[in-house]
Amino acid sequence: MMKKALAVAKWEYLEKVKAKAFLIGLFLTPLIMVGMGVIPGLLAGQADKTTKVIGVIDPTGELAVPLAKAMQEKYLLASGEPNYLVRPLTVGKPNNMDLAIEEASKLAVTDEIEGYCILGSGGLADSVVEYRSKAVGDFRVGVRLEETLKSIIAEKRAVARGIDLAVVKELNVTLDVKMVKLSKTGEKEEAGFEKVFLSAYVFLMMLFLLIMTSGQLLVRSILEEKSNRIVEVLVSSVSSTDLMVGKVLGLSGLGFTQIAFWTLIGVGATLQFGINLIGLDHALLLIVYFVLGYLFYAAVFIAAGSPLSTEQEAQQVTSYLVILLIIPIVLAMPAMKDPEAPWLKVLTFVPFLTPTMMALRIPIQTPATWEILSTIVLMIVSIYGAMVVAGRIFRIGILSTGKSPKIKEIFRWARQG
Amino acid sequence: MSMNPVLAARDLRKEFATVVAVDGVSFEIQAGEIFGLLGPNGAGKTTTIRIILNILEPDGGTVMFDGKPFSSAVRDRIGYLPEERGLYRKSKLLDTILYFAELRGMKRTVARSEALKWLERAGLSAYRDRKVEELSKGNQQKVQFITSIIHNPALVVLDEPFSGLDPVNQILLMDIFKEMKQSGKAIVFSTHQMDQAEKLSDALCLINRGKVVLGGTVRDVKKRYGTNSVHVEFDGDGEFMRSLPGVQRAIMYENAAELELAPDARTQDLLGAMNTRVELRKFELLEPSLQSIFIQTVAGAESVPAAGKAVA
Repeated sequence: MMKKALAVAKWEYLEKVKAKAFLIGLFLTPLIMVGMGVIPGLLAGQADKTTKVIGVIDPTGELAVPLAKAMQEKYLLASGEPNYLVRPLTVGKPNNMDLAIEEASKLAVTDEIEGYCILGSGGLADSVVEYRSKAVGDFRVGVRLEETLKSIIAEKRAVARGIDLAVVKELNVTLDVKMVKLSKTGEKEEAGFEKVFLSAYVFLMMLFLLIMTSGQLLVRSILEEKSNRIVEVLVSSVSSTDLMVGKVLGLSGLGFTQIAFWTLIGVGATLQFGINLIGLDHALLLIVYFVLGYLFYAAVFIAAGSPLSTEQEAQQVTSYLVILLIIPIVLAMPAMKDPEAPWLKVLTFVPFLTPTMMALRIPIQTPATWEILSTIVLMIVSIYGAMVVAGRIFRIGILSTGKSPKIKEIFRWARQG
Repeated sequence: MSMNPVLAARDLRKEFATVVAVDGVSFEIQAGEIFGLLGPNGAGKTTTIRIILNILEPDGGTVMFDGKPFSSAVRDRIGYLPEERGLYRKSKLLDTILYFAELRGMKRTVARSEALKWLERAGLSAYRDRKVEELSKGNQQKVQFITSIIHNPALVVLDEPFSGLDPVNQILLMDIFKEMKQSGKAIVFSTHQMDQAEKLSDALCLINRGKVVLGGTVRDVKKRYGTNSVHVEFDGDGEFMRSLPGVQRAIMYENAAELELAPDARTQDLLGAMNTRVELRKFELLEPSLQSIFIQTVAGAESVPAAGKAVA
């Protein structure tokens, strides 16, 4: 008997693994995820290698020189050269800002300068400063200009009030608050806020996409089999239990292909770029929840998909499941703020949410061991229950055609053994 | 040969929300028999088929295969072509056939050589690695037919097998039917086209409104409804035919006659007697066509709006 279930599994796997939707999901998802992991890292982490020339248009004529001096002294490249050379751009007489901006833009476009900064004509009173560049993605320039200008203005104002410059320098403190994550045992972990947030987000999205791609493939194939009555031939050849077991197995094969592929990419990314989103223990734990979540949702998709007869209904039902799956994404922020919140724990024990909640919580803060063990047991029991119920719905659902049955009717199928 | 019929359906009954789709249907199918399941649209043919294939559970009645109830072993010995056609559109032809063969318990290697053989016969060898959706509807139907018989089933059930096939392929199908019959297989096919049923079936069962209204071998059925008359065309004077033994009534035309015979009349004697007196050009036994029996039975049962449509 098992032989036929395996034949179904093999077919489902081989036919779907070739499906475009699956291949796109397989390759695109990690690409997006790695992209999300790598690009901000590159932006934030990589220092400039060459000196950048920045123009400054200063109608007051008071700030350009001190700014140039400060920037040159304060920020250095690894080689010891100044990171920035600030070049005051002349504002022609009469004070023609428009002409100056036009010329500066030309310089920026021809790469003579990296960008230029327009200080308000109000000088010290005006708090609006503009930085124009082809590469506004380099947010460090903005931050550094802001910081430097701030202290120059502060110094000037202080001096104007007769405060000693040394005192001002002393008052002017720069601080860098570094977020450090503590592990279970209280050790420091090298993970900042962004990284924790990012990894929680990445794993949630991965689980979400994993479940959705194969869930949709499953529903679509059931619909196809129903609409052209292949299902009648199937049911006359194979028992409905074998058919469902085969489908779940085939689908699991797809899921594991995805997980394995992504894990490989993850390991590759870790080795290549040194982005280590997650420790090995966490990774293994996540894989456990991925597998459990995947199997649970396979049953959910079978139960939800088999009574349907049209693509529209399928889309509707899938969108409900999407909502169920993305709830934890919405909760990511509050969960970061308070990983110990009771409501987080409560939600973790809702089987529909357990895998995604865990995918969210594990990178932020490893849940207590009792929580992990009890949710794993809970998931195994839920998967069993869901499979039994899905089997009952599947048996009747796949043969129902025409108008989709009402929810009440489906519940009746689910109750009948 | 086993004593039991390949398939025996007894008192099948199936109710849906508002209608009794099948109401006490019984029939038997023997090995080496082509069995026609006839009836107008909506008569309950497809529901009956689904019940005998264990796709639907009946509300009452039993289905026996070789005298035994349905079991998973039976699955591998039956073949099925549903009324609404369809295959996996995106899958390749050969893969599809092999999959269905495997589901019927065939070994992959055996299935492969059988599949290639059938594809050759259906003229589809060149398409074996094409996707199903690239084929014409008629060719898709042939592929589906192959999937229903590739495992050499003892019983094959075909719901409206001829619909959608061109005359050439209809003949191919009939040839295959006859071969299967000769090798002792039982074939059940449903149709509302009486001429097809008449040409093919050994036995039939006419269902109307969920009930069997007529059943048995085609010969018996025709006998029961037979008007038992003869149509002759000849050269010469045929007036003597009126007084031939066994002729009850005669309608004479110029060089032709319509003779109504007594129940015990022997057509061979009649033919002999005529041959000596006139030159016979045509001697035809006028059997009632299934078509007319069908209309008589179904329409006679009371006004059945579906009947007219079914016959058309």
